[in-house]
Amino acid sequence: MTTQAPPRKDSDLHVAADLPDALSALAERSSEGIALAGGTWVMRARLRGEPWNRAYVAIAGIPELGRIDITDREIRVGACVTHAELARVLESVPGYLALKQAASGSANPAVREMATIGGNLSAVGFAAADLPPALTVLRAHVDIASAAGVERLTIEDFLRFREHLQPGSLLSRVVIPRSAWSSAHVRLPLRKAGDYPVAIVSIALKRDGDRVADARVSVGSVEVTAKRWHSLEEELVGSSHEPAAISLRAADLLGDFNAREGSEAPGWYRKQVLPVLAARALTALG
Amino acid sequence: MPALMINGEERWSSRDPMTPLVVVLRDEFALTGTKHVCGEGFCGACTVLMNDRPALACLTPIGTADGKSIRTIESISAAEGELSPLQQALLDADAVQCGMCFPGMVITLTSFLQHNSNPSEAEIRAALSGNVCRCTGYQRIVEAVRGLATLASEGADQ
Repeated sequence: MTTQAPPRKDSDLHVAADLPDALSALAERSSEGIALAGGTWVMRARLRGEPWNRAYVAIAGIPELGRIDITDREIRVGACVTHAELARVLESVPGYLALKQAASGSANPAVREMATIGGNLSAVGFAAADLPPALTVLRAHVDIASAAGVERLTIEDFLRFREHLQPGSLLSRVVIPRSAWSSAHVRLPLRKAGDYPVAIVSIALKRDGDRVADARVSVGSVEVTAKRWHSLEEELVGSSHEPAAISLRAADLLGDFNAREGSEAPGWYRKQVLPVLAARALTALG
Repeated sequence: MPALMINGEERWSSRDPMTPLVVVLRDEFALTGTKHVCGEGFCGACTVLMNDRPALACLTPIGTADGKSIRTIESISAAEGELSPLQQALLDADAVQCGMCFPGMVITLTSFLQHNSNPSEAEIRAALSGNVCRCTGYQRIVEAVRGLATLASEGADQ
């Protein structure tokens, strides 16, 4: 049974004290309710021509959503951890270069102090988000909390179904397994920093000696949602991941993408740079 | 009605809780040093310090700023007429032109230098990637910060 949200003149902003409060407030507000974390996406809704005067539930003040817990098995990141805080904490964690690079290089310094990992994953229509491809190659999962409990999804499933989350549910945590995979994240902005990237390549490799035993490649900002590059993964497995050779193969695999057009770059350009970005990521992997 | 801690003073706004902080600072509190330019987090002219970290006032709804310590450019000077070392360095370097971006620049650099007291040129430029200046070309700003860092380093060595 759906409930009708009451009409409002002014904004409806509920500042949640804890997670149950947030879930309850979101459920009450039904399809009109949206979670507000750092605000860097929501506050630009008008610029995107999206509805503005909605029912917001502010979650950034919920302590458990701002926590990062690191164990021998996994890294658990609360949904309201900012990019900057994530980058600071990961400095002391071996590996996870893709996530370090994504979190420390996204947007600009002030946005990184405000934007959250949950917001970056949840922003439907934000094609240039840095964290989705990095978390995809690191085989991360997300926890979706609701009054019924917690459901764990792969990042890929979440990205596929995030527009259809039930009212009253909330991405509460990102969970990344500890592993020996090495990774890298390369973005191509128009300027050296501060711009949305026109294309992103994240790569993670599991090595067996000097050969690749397993590979994950995710491409961001080329299509509307970050996407695995399965054909390049197949090329990498069993190879010595030599950047120039893989880059040549990648140039034959661009048909896997239906690139979006944009004011900052046309679709053909976003695809054309992918082999170069793949080579740079492999070089960064060493 | 959210209570906002602005430059050490508790103040109340009557505006809608989703009103951007930059609008309240300028229109309600007459703190016009913070500039409202792009309104989408790119230019940095509205940068303030929130709990000692740079934040964009154009993307901060006032309803979420309750309980946070907010400092604007007006608070950076130590006392009436006395500029901070960073502000003095920028003045000495003749770094300011139209001035529109400089409050945000100073806020960003104030926070940056607290965490990195001897930055390289590349680090300074990266720190300023969210503060867009159409006038200066950034060189004197960078040199002023490098000079300030060198001075601080020499002072520490003595």
